Amino acid sequence: MAASNLPRRIVKETQRLLAEPVPGISATPYEDNLRYFNVVITGPEQSPYEHGSFKLELFLPSDYPMAPPKVRFLTKIYHPNIDKLGRICLDILKDKWSPALQIRTVLLSIQALLSAPNPDDPLANDVAEMWKTNEAQALQTGGRGSLHGERSGDPGGTGCGQCGEHRTQREAGN
Amino acid sequence: MMTTATGEVIMVPRNFKLLEELEKGEKGVGDHSVSFGLVDGDDIFMTDWNGTILGPNGTQHEGRLYTLRIHCGEEYPDRCPVVRFVSKLNMGCVDQRSGEVFRNKLPVLAQWNRNYGIEQVLVALRNEMASPSNRRLQQPSEGTEF
Repeated sequence: MAASNLPRRIVKETQRLLAEPVPGISATPYEDNLRYFNVVITGPEQSPYEHGSFKLELFLPSDYPMAPPKVRFLTKIYHPNIDKLGRICLDILKDKWSPALQIRTVLLSIQALLSAPNPDDPLANDVAEMWKTNEAQALQTGGRGSLHGERSGDPGGTGCGQCGEHRTQREAGN
Repeated sequence: MMTTATGEVIMVPRNFKLLEELEKGEKGVGDHSVSFGLVDGDDIFMTDWNGTILGPNGTQHEGRLYTLRIHCGEEYPDRCPVVRFVSKLNMGCVDQRSGEVFRNKLPVLAQWNRNYGIEQVLVALRNEMASPSNRRLQQPSEGTEF
């Protein structure tokens, strides 16, 4: 895939991400697919995710920047706004996306979401409930989950206000 | 895979393609004659899938619900998935010992390209059930498994 065919905007964003990385975030495009990024976010200080290192993947779809990047966690994480498949409930990844935003701003927002989970707009109901009823234990579990990839419980049908979307998480299966 | 006006070839990576397929499967496909979803809702790499096919009307399969397993390996969608019937049925493209679908006997697998997905495989198998060579084939009793 010739880099010259890549939209100028994506080339620019990539160059800046590599030249001036955001503290605690690395984003590197795969050589064979320059729209596909390997992302690592370090758990923010004074959050339950401190000392954790979280791998994500990000893809710029054909209609980027008119449409938001697609991004999800590959490292299991115990967080009220992130589901079992690493999908993130964040408004700017859905209806609050604007072409003025960038890969950089998206990753900063995800880093901020780790510092400030939003249990009132859950994607993972069990995690949110624990966060509200027993923050101390949730913080402890958050830390453990980040290191060992553990997560208990089974989020049932959830609606997520954070991203303005209501989805039914159904165990496939039939 | 798509090519833009500027000649850029855009490849949706495996995981994001499978996430799209999952969301489509969760919403339900077309007339619900086929359905699919993850075997394990926790499987971050979305490797193993359950599928179902409702037997087409006017065939020996009418009224039967067939279950299948679909395995999407690391190289999916560059390589086709491995598809195996769990429910027993008699059909030319299905190995009668294991239930596995012979790749070279189903065009959607034999001529696989990365724009195809699980839905296309299930629909192709359902069409195969209704093909002239298969629609009248004697079937094992309902509910038996490979």
